[in-house]
Amino acid sequence: MNYSVFLTETDSSSSFLSVLFQNWGEDWIYHCLFPLLLAVLAYLVLSNKRHKSLAWAFLLVPVVLSLLPVPSMVCMVVSIAAAVLSYLLFADFTKKDSGTSSGMVESKQQWKAWLYLAPAIVLLLVFTVWPIINTVKMAFMEGYDSLAALGGNTFSYGMANFNTVNSSATFLRAMKNTLLLTVLTVPISTVLALLIAVALNSIKFLQKPLQTIFFLPYVTNSIAIGMVFSAMFNVINLDGTSVGVNSTVGIMNNILMFFGFDPVNWIGQGSSYAANVTVMVIYIVWNALPFKILVLLGGLQGISKQYYDAAKIDGTSRARILWRITVPLLSPMLTYVVITGFIGGFKEYSSVVGIFGDTMGPPAGLSGGTMNTMVGYIYNYMSGAQVKYGVASAGALILFALIFVVTMINLQVSKERTHY
Amino acid sequence: MQKKVLSLILALLMVVSCGMLTACSGETDSTESSDSGSTEGSTSTSVGNFTVPEGGYDGSEVTITFWHTMGANLREVLDNYIAEFNEIYPNIHIEHEQIGSYDDVRDQIQTYLTTGDQPNIAYCYSDHVAGYNIANAVITLDSLIASTESDGNGGILGLTDEQIDDFIDGYYAEGSSFGDGLMYTLPFSKSTEVLYYDKTFFEENGLSVPTTWEEMEEVCRAIKEIDPDSIPLGYDSESNWFITMCEQYGSDYTSATTDETGSHFLFANETNYEFVKMFRTWYQDGLVTTQALYGAYTSGLFTSTDGIRCYMCIGSSAGASYQKPDDGSFEVGITTIPQVDPDNPKVISQGPSVCIFKSDNEQEVIASWLFVKFLTTSVEFQAEFSMTSGYVPVLKSVADNEVYAEYTAKADGYNYVTALSAKVCLEQQDAYYTSPSFYGSSTARDQVGLLMQQCFVLPDDNLDAAIESAFAEAVAYCEENS
Amino acid sequence: MSDTKGMREHNLHAEATKAHIWTILYQILVYAFLFIMAIIVLFPFYWMINSSLKSYEEYTLAVQTFWPKQVMFSNYAAAFEKANLLQLFANTTYVGLISTFLSLIITVFSAFAFARLEFKGRDAMFGLLLATMMIPGEMFTITNFQTVSALGWRNTYQVLIIPFLVSVFYIYLLRQNFMQIPNELYLAAKVDGTSDLKYLWKVMVPLAMPTLITITILKMMGSWNSYMWPRLVANDDAHKLITNGLRSADFTDATGSFTNYPQQMAAVAIVSLPLFLVFVFLRKYIMRGVSRSGIKG
Repeated sequence: MNYSVFLTETDSSSSFLSVLFQNWGEDWIYHCLFPLLLAVLAYLVLSNKRHKSLAWAFLLVPVVLSLLPVPSMVCMVVSIAAAVLSYLLFADFTKKDSGTSSGMVESKQQWKAWLYLAPAIVLLLVFTVWPIINTVKMAFMEGYDSLAALGGNTFSYGMANFNTVNSSATFLRAMKNTLLLTVLTVPISTVLALLIAVALNSIKFLQKPLQTIFFLPYVTNSIAIGMVFSAMFNVINLDGTSVGVNSTVGIMNNILMFFGFDPVNWIGQGSSYAANVTVMVIYIVWNALPFKILVLLGGLQGISKQYYDAAKIDGTSRARILWRITVPLLSPMLTYVVITGFIGGFKEYSSVVGIFGDTMGPPAGLSGGTMNTMVGYIYNYMSGAQVKYGVASAGALILFALIFVVTMINLQVSKERTHY
Repeated sequence: MQKKVLSLILALLMVVSCGMLTACSGETDSTESSDSGSTEGSTSTSVGNFTVPEGGYDGSEVTITFWHTMGANLREVLDNYIAEFNEIYPNIHIEHEQIGSYDDVRDQIQTYLTTGDQPNIAYCYSDHVAGYNIANAVITLDSLIASTESDGNGGILGLTDEQIDDFIDGYYAEGSSFGDGLMYTLPFSKSTEVLYYDKTFFEENGLSVPTTWEEMEEVCRAIKEIDPDSIPLGYDSESNWFITMCEQYGSDYTSATTDETGSHFLFANETNYEFVKMFRTWYQDGLVTTQALYGAYTSGLFTSTDGIRCYMCIGSSAGASYQKPDDGSFEVGITTIPQVDPDNPKVISQGPSVCIFKSDNEQEVIASWLFVKFLTTSVEFQAEFSMTSGYVPVLKSVADNEVYAEYTAKADGYNYVTALSAKVCLEQQDAYYTSPSFYGSSTARDQVGLLMQQCFVLPDDNLDAAIESAFAEAVAYCEENS
Repeated sequence: MSDTKGMREHNLHAEATKAHIWTILYQILVYAFLFIMAIIVLFPFYWMINSSLKSYEEYTLAVQTFWPKQVMFSNYAAAFEKANLLQLFANTTYVGLISTFLSLIITVFSAFAFARLEFKGRDAMFGLLLATMMIPGEMFTITNFQTVSALGWRNTYQVLIIPFLVSVFYIYLLRQNFMQIPNELYLAAKVDGTSDLKYLWKVMVPLAMPTLITITILKMMGSWNSYMWPRLVANDDAHKLITNGLRSADFTDATGSFTNYPQQMAAVAIVSLPLFLVFVFLRKYIMRGVSRSGIKG
């Protein structure tokens, strides 16, 4: 097995110093920084005066490793492990209150804890921590391409990937789609969920069955049901010439025509962007309702009846009750629902695939898919002829930054409006 | 507290710097290869990247892996010929595997290249090989073809002049269409596009088979008058249509080397705007449809006997068995597709080639070459493979082979449509062209197909501007994704 | 005086009646609203079953029918075959069972460590763990793809199972549950000399069973619905999972000229059925798990 993805190769036949620099390649500056930081850390922890020799050992191991022709991945993992462990073991903890039990710190318990946590930690390191670091790195490697890397290309560090992403018409379209879908679906689904939850809460008869019905979309497969929606909105024309001559207009159009409207080409070839967005919004809201209803209903049932009784005595109108009492008391739940709604909206991908298929848009649509989302854009670079992981990573970082910023804003706004 | 925070921050910084440590650089003498996929051969003594060792094939025991997309009946044919091969070379063991579709083969090879587990031989399109070349993974065949070393069986490793001549020119040339003049693939089995037409209908209505695009338009309009509900022509692949028209008009499509603007993608030009506009009018007038716009293979329209149907269908020569009606209600005629200049015909060639991957063991490469040479220069194999698959043989002399000649003699428009298709393919073998292959050429191919579709459905107002901007977007998308 | 009293009573009575009428109207409104929404929510399911039982000709009629004139159960058989559903079911069940089982073990041990055991950096570690939940999965996908390719795990079962064994959310959920179990039990057990493992197995697991069932169900649902990752890394027939298989199945008819939508709908119905059954019988557990700030899978 050839771990060429992780290896730096060395030619061991020359002198030690040249080996050093050859091993480090262009990153010599970072290799210098690295022991420096270790030394500073060493000073800090060693001022603790306990376990002196052990601490030195801990900190020297990664230093030595980085000088040897050891795979960088191993070196890096060891350094991280050493850093974290040394912090935990040697940093000066003041006696802290450890929570529930009457803190007995047995060293036997320590090792046992680490043993129990070991599989989880290993898996997390490999499949969560390393990917984060690697993604950041790849995003900054200009034009990183898996095949080219095999061919022996080196990549310089810079912002070129981000430039590619930002100037890409496909990406901008994907971002526009994502934002539009999110901004439309989150308010609609939240308000609708609130109304349904309030309504559910106020009835007794048939409450359980209705609750079950409303929860049904949650257990379905969004791709599979997407195909059903696609069939409902689809217009099947069997002549191939123009949209006008159809063999069937689909059930939605039948319903529309029943009410006297004209049939609309929803998702077929030549459909308008507005129609596509409408279908997507309907589908995403349909999918998002159950979770929101459940959370809000749970919150509603937790509100003490006293508030309502007091309001009824005062003769307050129902609308006022809803606005002045229910919503504020429900605000933690609402906050949670809105935040997760936004995060989910940014990560929207499978709904579009469910309805449009791999083309991510109506046939003969724009390149890369008319309704492509940011996640779809990232995935485009992962399979098929293009293996430009650098650009994909840059896109993923931008997506993460977007989610992070929006979440922070949400949290900030909700802090002012949430009453606990 | 402060110390804790400080040390935590420093630990984090250290972690980040460790991240920067892991440089993905390979050998320090790396080549800065440009997008054209050309490689500066790292050995200067021979042409390309492979030097034939002294003594050629030395008889050592090797195992060769071969990845392809062959179905069950083709694998049977292959097994028979492997047995024959092993009679000459008992020490070369061939393990072959069907991987799925061509795209699956490409994806799997790209993944396995990272671990060094790629096969020795694989089915490929030249677009794929352009990608593999970025990874410097494919052997150049020039030194092998020219080699006079022993092949372990009393002959030479290389191809004799007669053997090279026997290859159909267009197919052979595809192997060196990568911009650096070196040869990376040998053609294995090919297909092309042909025009299927309802011969019975044509004869009944006194229509003549079109040989140029003007004639095609006339015939279509005539058919439309006879049967207004029909769509006279179905053209399955928009990509092929676009690329073939570029070739027929002699206008630019793509180039394996970049032009002054640094672009491979040269298809946004006046000639192309014009023919797209012309075909768009055909589409709007209901004269033609394509697979994407129709929603399924147009062969379904061709073979249907009621309702909407088409009377001519341009599709793959390998799909002949789908182009005849189940009840034999009409005779199928096959001919070359219409041309801009009938004296200088151009028809696309598709279908798998084979390439050989680098290996640490030189004898493995030699053995792979021997097997590839065996399959591609053996008239019997090419004949049998072609008859079983519906693909076209890559050698000219197959036409003279007894069995094959018998096969093509049976050709007719009722039950032996496949043979008829093979016959037509042989007759037009001077017309085959290939497109340049480079890293991104498959994106170009997909995009021009999409471009045709987009332009066909454009509304009338501001048409020229709309067409130009659609082209510009397609070029931009290709640039981005290559 | 009695007149005004009577009038007041009359007024009160009138108002009470008015209020009563409003209440009834309001109730009717609420029920109507709920019924309409319920119909909207249920409509796609109904349409799915309806379409799956039609023949193709009836499906493509200009005006749709609400119940097939000719019920075609054969669509289901055809769907089974064309989409190779048996193989897909087998693959998905196998992957689901193994990954759930392994994941449960890891989750139980990790939650126990966080809830009951004392060790340095426990809270910091837990905080870090929770932080990773905010990062979008796409950031992991690219590198994980490279890692599993380098390890040679493409088109195997381990690539579908191992990367997702650790779910921070489930550890969090279980930890909360464990922490609700009174610590005195633990201390008493320790005094008796019971080992940690025995205590875990005999006491904590049974007490936390509802949560464990929730986790099991959610994990299996997750593996049933997974699409993107399996599609990237294990796309061959021997390992294809059900969503991927459904999406890529070929429902064109024999002549290849059109897609047989009713059969496609039948396949979708078959695929949705197991989840539906699980939901009907185990609704309580799913809903409880979700409402405790749930994330699907």
